[in-house]
Amino acid sequence: MSEVIENEVELEEDTQKDKFLTFFLGDEVYGIEIKFVTEIIGLQSITQIPDLPDYVKGIINLRGKIIPVIDVRLRFKKSSQEYNDRTCIVVVEIKEVAVGFIVDTVAEVLTIQSQDIVLPPQFKNGSHYQRFIKGIGKVDNVVKLILDCDRLLNDEEMNSLEELSSGQSK
Amino acid sequence: MDNDDSRVPMSDLFVFETNQMLEQLERLILDGEKSGGLKASINEVFRIMHTIKGSAAMMLFNDISCLAHSIEDVFYYLRENKPLLVDYSELTDLVLQAVDFIKDEVRKVENRESPTGDCSEIRKKSGAFLLTLQVIDPASKDISLKSLDHEELQHDIDEKPVREGQTKWEAVIFFDEDCGMENIRAFTLVHELEELAEDIAFFPKDILENDSTAEMIREAGFKVVFATVNSSARLEEFFAKTMFLKNFQLKKTINLEESIANSVVSDNSKPSSLQEISQRGESKHSFISVNVAKMDMLMDLVGELVIAEAMVTQNPELQGVTLDKFYKSVRQLRKITGELQDTVMSIRMVPLSATFHKMNRIVRDMVRQLDKQAELQIVGEHTEVDKNIIEHISDPLMHLIRNAVDHGIEPAEERIAQGKAAVGKIRLEAKSAGGDVWIVIKDDGGGLHREKILKKALERGLIHQADSLLTDKQVYSFILQPGFSTKDEVTEFSGRGVGMDVVSQNIEKVGGTISVDSVQGEGTTMSIRIPLTLAIIDGMKVKVGNSIYTIPIIAIKESFRLQDQNLITDAEKNEMVMIRGQCYPVLRLHERFNVQQTTTDLREGIMVMVEVDGRSLCLFADSLLGQQQVVVKALPSYIKKIRGIAGCTMLGDGSVSLILDVAGLAY
Amino acid sequence: MRVLIVDDALFIRRTLKMILEQNGYEVVGEAENGLEGILKYKLLQPDLITMDITMPQMDGLTALKAIKKIDPSAKVVMITALGNESTVKETILSGANGFIVKPFVQEQVLRGLSAFK
Repeated sequence: MSEVIENEVELEEDTQKDKFLTFFLGDEVYGIEIKFVTEIIGLQSITQIPDLPDYVKGIINLRGKIIPVIDVRLRFKKSSQEYNDRTCIVVVEIKEVAVGFIVDTVAEVLTIQSQDIVLPPQFKNGSHYQRFIKGIGKVDNVVKLILDCDRLLNDEEMNSLEELSSGQSK
Repeated sequence: MDNDDSRVPMSDLFVFETNQMLEQLERLILDGEKSGGLKASINEVFRIMHTIKGSAAMMLFNDISCLAHSIEDVFYYLRENKPLLVDYSELTDLVLQAVDFIKDEVRKVENRESPTGDCSEIRKKSGAFLLTLQVIDPASKDISLKSLDHEELQHDIDEKPVREGQTKWEAVIFFDEDCGMENIRAFTLVHELEELAEDIAFFPKDILENDSTAEMIREAGFKVVFATVNSSARLEEFFAKTMFLKNFQLKKTINLEESIANSVVSDNSKPSSLQEISQRGESKHSFISVNVAKMDMLMDLVGELVIAEAMVTQNPELQGVTLDKFYKSVRQLRKITGELQDTVMSIRMVPLSATFHKMNRIVRDMVRQLDKQAELQIVGEHTEVDKNIIEHISDPLMHLIRNAVDHGIEPAEERIAQGKAAVGKIRLEAKSAGGDVWIVIKDDGGGLHREKILKKALERGLIHQADSLLTDKQVYSFILQPGFSTKDEVTEFSGRGVGMDVVSQNIEKVGGTISVDSVQGEGTTMSIRIPLTLAIIDGMKVKVGNSIYTIPIIAIKESFRLQDQNLITDAEKNEMVMIRGQCYPVLRLHERFNVQQTTTDLREGIMVMVEVDGRSLCLFADSLLGQQQVVVKALPSYIKKIRGIAGCTMLGDGSVSLILDVAGLAY
Repeated sequence: MRVLIVDDALFIRRTLKMILEQNGYEVVGEAENGLEGILKYKLLQPDLITMDITMPQMDGLTALKAIKKIDPSAKVVMITALGNESTVKETILSGANGFIVKPFVQEQVLRGLSAFK
C-alpha cells in the first residue's frame, strides 16, 4: 500500500520536475517550482488585517478557505505598484499551509533543466531579496530568477508558521 | 500486507471500549473514596475488571488480562465474602495503579505498538492484598484440596445394584483441548445424563469443589459409570450432542484402572487466534469514528449553505415583490438549515466531564503525597465545548489544579490556625455566558502575595519601581509571564518556574484568555474564557472605511449617535462618553485597525456600546450595516493571533469580514 | 440457525457476531444485559442464545432462569470467563445447555455450537 503511494508521489514529482511557473515583477522574470503552486487566480477583494508587516496584505476567501496574501514586491522591498487587471495571485502551498503571492502578472510554465540553473552570485551587500533567490535559470538567453519558495516564508515567518500549525493541529 | 489493516477495527474497538470502562472505573473509585468507601461499587468494579479481562484475553494481551483478572479476584472475594476489615484506601491505590497500567498498555495498542508492559509488580500487590483479606477475615474458608480417591468411586459403583432391564455402562470422555473448565463440563454432562440414567458415579469425584480436577480431566479423561435402560445408540447420540466433546469410549465393563490406561489422548487441532478471525472479513460497527477534517469540511459547507440561503432569500431583486408562497417556503428552508447547523455543531461538541473528572485523580494523588487535605468540587461538568478545545485545555487545567493544591491550599494545621476548615476546597466550574465558555478554578487557600510578586516583577524587569498604582489584577497577571514563579522551593508537582506562561499560551492557542484574581488569605481564582470557535453566531456588521467588521451581537448593549455634550476628553486625549451618569471609554475602530478614508468625526459615525466581563466600552464605526448570522472561522495560521480579532467570516458577496473579539479590545 | 447474542461487552458481541455470521449462523439480535436479553428472546424467538454471565442491570444467570421459565426447551449457551466455575455450575443447574469459556477463538465457538445443529 505504502509502496504504491510512494510510486505515485514519485510519478507526480517526475512530471513536475524542472517545471517552473514564471511571473513578472516589473521587468524581471521570476520562477517558482510548479510543485508548490496550487492555482493562479485574479485579484480579489482583500480584507486587511491590522498589526501585520506591510507585505502581508490581508486575507482572501478562496472558495471557502481563508488564506493570507503577500505582496511579493513589498516582500522584496521593491516599490509598490497599483494593482490592475493583470495583477495575479499565485497560490502556493508550503507545508500544508496555503499562501497567495501577489505578482504583477503571470508569464508561462517553463521547463528549465537543472544544468541550465546556476547558483546566484553572492554579494556582500546584496539587496534584501537575494536570499530568496535559489538559482538563476537561463532560457533562450533570458534570465529567470528562481525563487526559494521555502524561504519566501522564511525565518521568523516560517517559525511562526510551524509553531502555529503544530499548536493548532486539528 | 493486509494483516495489520484488517486487525485495526477490532483493536480500535478494544481501545474504545476499554478506555470507556477505565474512565468509568476511575470515576467509581474516586466517587467511592469521597463518599466514604468503595463498598457500594464492588459489583461494578468486579464487572468492569471482568469485562476488560475477557476482551484483553481475546486480543491476546496477556498482561492486561492477567492484571484485570487479579483485581477481579480481589473484588470477587469482597463480593462473595463481604469481609469486615478492608483497607479501602489501599484498595483504591491498588485499583488506580492497575487502571494506570492498563491505560498505558491501551495507549500502546492505540498507537499500534504492542503492549509490552509487565504487570507482575501490581499483580503481586493485588495477590498480597487478597491474601491479607483472607487471613484477617475470620469467615474465610479453608480452600485446601480434597484428596482424590479411586477406591471410593469403585466402592460407590459396586455398592449400587443393577436394576432389571438396566445396563451398567462406563464411559470415558475427553473434551476438546482449550475448551476450559473441564470439571464444570463434566458436571454439565452428569447433570444432563441424569435425565437418561441412574446411579451415576464419576471420577474425578470432586469436580464441583475442586477446580484443579479440570487439569486431571484434561489429561486422563472423565470417567462416568451409570445404569440406564436406554440403548447404546441413544447414549451415543447423547454424548455426540455434548458441547466440546472430543471423543468418548462407551463400554459395559467396569474397570476404572484399565479404562484410564486405554484412553488415548489425541488432538492435533490448533486454536486460531482472534487476529486470524478478524482477517477473514470485515466487521460491521454500529458506531463510526469520523475524520475531524471531514467534520471541518461539513462545518464549512453548512456555513456556506447558510450564506447561500441568505443570498437567495434576502436577494435585493425580491424587494417590493409580494411572494407569500415563496416566503412560506423560505421559512421552511430556514428552519431546516437551522436544524442542520445545530446538528453539525453538536457533533463537534463534547462535554467537559471527562476532562474534569481527570482532575479528581490529580487532587487525590497530590493530597496523599503532599500530606494536605483538599477536596475538589466539580460544577457544570456537562458544559460542552468544541472537541478541539478539550484537547488543548486539558493540560493547562491540570497545571492550574496542581498549583491550587500545591501552592494554594495550606497545610491543615495552618488552616485550622487561621480559622478555616481543615480540608481545603477547590472548585472547578464550567459555565456558558455570553457566547463564551468560562472555566473557573477557585481555591480557598492562602492567595497570592502581592508584595512577593511585585518584588519578583521588579527583579525580572517587568516593572521599574514598585508601583503602588498597579491594581491587584495587574499585579497578579504577572504570574502569567514566562519564568515567573514566586515559590522558592520546587515540589514534585509544580513550581518549576515554567508553567503559568505555558498555561496561558496554551489557552491563547484556542483563542482563550486567562485572568487571575486573588485575595490574600482567602484564596485564588483563575478564570479561563474560551470563545466559541467554529461556531455560528449572530453578528452585527459595521462599516469602517472600506472594511466591514462583525461584532458578536451578544456583546452589544446598545448603539447610539453621539451628542456633543456627552463627550469628555481627558488630559491625555483619551475620549470618553458619559451616558446616564456613567463614563465609558471610546475606541475608534479606524485608529485601532489603521483604516483609511473613514469618518473621523465622532458625531457623524455611530457608537456601539459593548460589554464583556463587566467592562463596557464604546466602539466607534462609520455606520451599522445590519445583522447577520455568520460562521466563525479561524484566521489562517500564517497570521499570528491578533489582539482584538476573534476570527473572520465570509460575507454574502464572498468577501471576508473580521470578527471583533470584544474582550481583546477591552483590555 | 438463528442466534441471539447477550453480552455487555460490545467487543465480545462483535467478535461473536463475526464468527457466527461467517459460518452460516444468523445473528438475529444482540442485547446488552439480561433484561434486554429476555425481551429480545420473547420478541425474536431465536434458536439459540449466547449469554454472558457478568452483566450490569441483570446478570446472565437471572436471565437464563427467566428464559427457561418461559420456554424450558430454549437453548442457552453461557459465555463465561475462567475462574467463574461456581456461577457456571449454577447456570447448569438452572438449565443452561452448555458454556463457552472466554477467551475463545473461532474454532472453539463453532465446535461448541455444532452440538446444537
